[in-house]
Amino acid sequence: MDTSTQKKWNFSAVFYDLLAWGAEQRWGPRKREFFSSMHGKVLFVAVGTGQDIPFFPPGRDIIGIDISPRMLAKARERAARYPGLLELRVMDIHALEFPDHSFDQVVTSCTLCSVPDPVAALIALRRVLKPGGELYMFEHTGSRVFPFNRMLDVMTPIWKPIGPEMNRDTVANVEKAGFKMQQVSNVYLDVVKTIIASAPEG
Amino acid sequence: MDRRVYFLAGDVLSNAVTGAATAWLAAAIVDSSWFMPAGMLAGMLAGMGLGLLMMPVFVGLFGAMEVMLPVMLTAMLSGMLSGMASAMQVPTIPLLLLAGGSIGILVLLLTYAIDAVLHSKAS
Repeated sequence: MDTSTQKKWNFSAVFYDLLAWGAEQRWGPRKREFFSSMHGKVLFVAVGTGQDIPFFPPGRDIIGIDISPRMLAKARERAARYPGLLELRVMDIHALEFPDHSFDQVVTSCTLCSVPDPVAALIALRRVLKPGGELYMFEHTGSRVFPFNRMLDVMTPIWKPIGPEMNRDTVANVEKAGFKMQQVSNVYLDVVKTIIASAPEG
Repeated sequence: MDRRVYFLAGDVLSNAVTGAATAWLAAAIVDSSWFMPAGMLAGMLAGMGLGLLMMPVFVGLFGAMEVMLPVMLTAMLSGMLSGMASAMQVPTIPLLLLAGGSIGILVLLLTYAIDAVLHSKAS
């Protein structure tokens, strides 16, 4: 377990809901639509304080993981109201405790901006996906558009101690990890995106 | 309030207030004794600093990237232009606030336009 990352997110858990309220309200309808594709056995990575749980479609079979026990303590209240199977577990994305090919689908939401080694994390996710299984990501990334690309570069070292990195090329990282890209859509500028990819067959 | 109206009002408020506040701060730091490029740089840095301080409030209420990026750009531009103006002459406070707020609205419109273009290009 990466204890420095765990400490960072345990600290952020104190004020996370306050800072993320606006974003969750703004992205909520888009997330609800995106998550409606959840099917089969689903791994939801970095469930945090559970702000995404109200947007999950009902009746699904989901395991939610997060590195921070304090985040998950808050998420449990929301998970209790979910009308389906939702199990929450403390787990490091870099050391997933699931056998190979355990899930039909992996879903992330503002996750790959926050993990220490995004490509290694994506390779770990590929391992637990069934061949041909889907990776659904709602992520914020770096930008290719000036001046937003430079601003995100400047803001990254300021936010990193308590939050995410803002200038990662997550689309490229997904491809580096061996996924087959299916669809990339912009939600806001070219910074907030939905990414759909699949694990290689066989 | 309708969700879209709430966020539109939030975008306008956060950019107009940030623009006005950073213009005022830059003018409070820079005066006509400054070399103009130094005034612009000082104004931009002061704007960035104030923008970062104000950002958590607006982000918490109105959204993450949709607020952070235009607000940060507004803070930099408003601070820089106010620093430049203050190095050349002493603008009045109402004029500074109006100019700063207007810069905020223009930046917001620019980001809306870029967002619309990028949506049409999405793969």
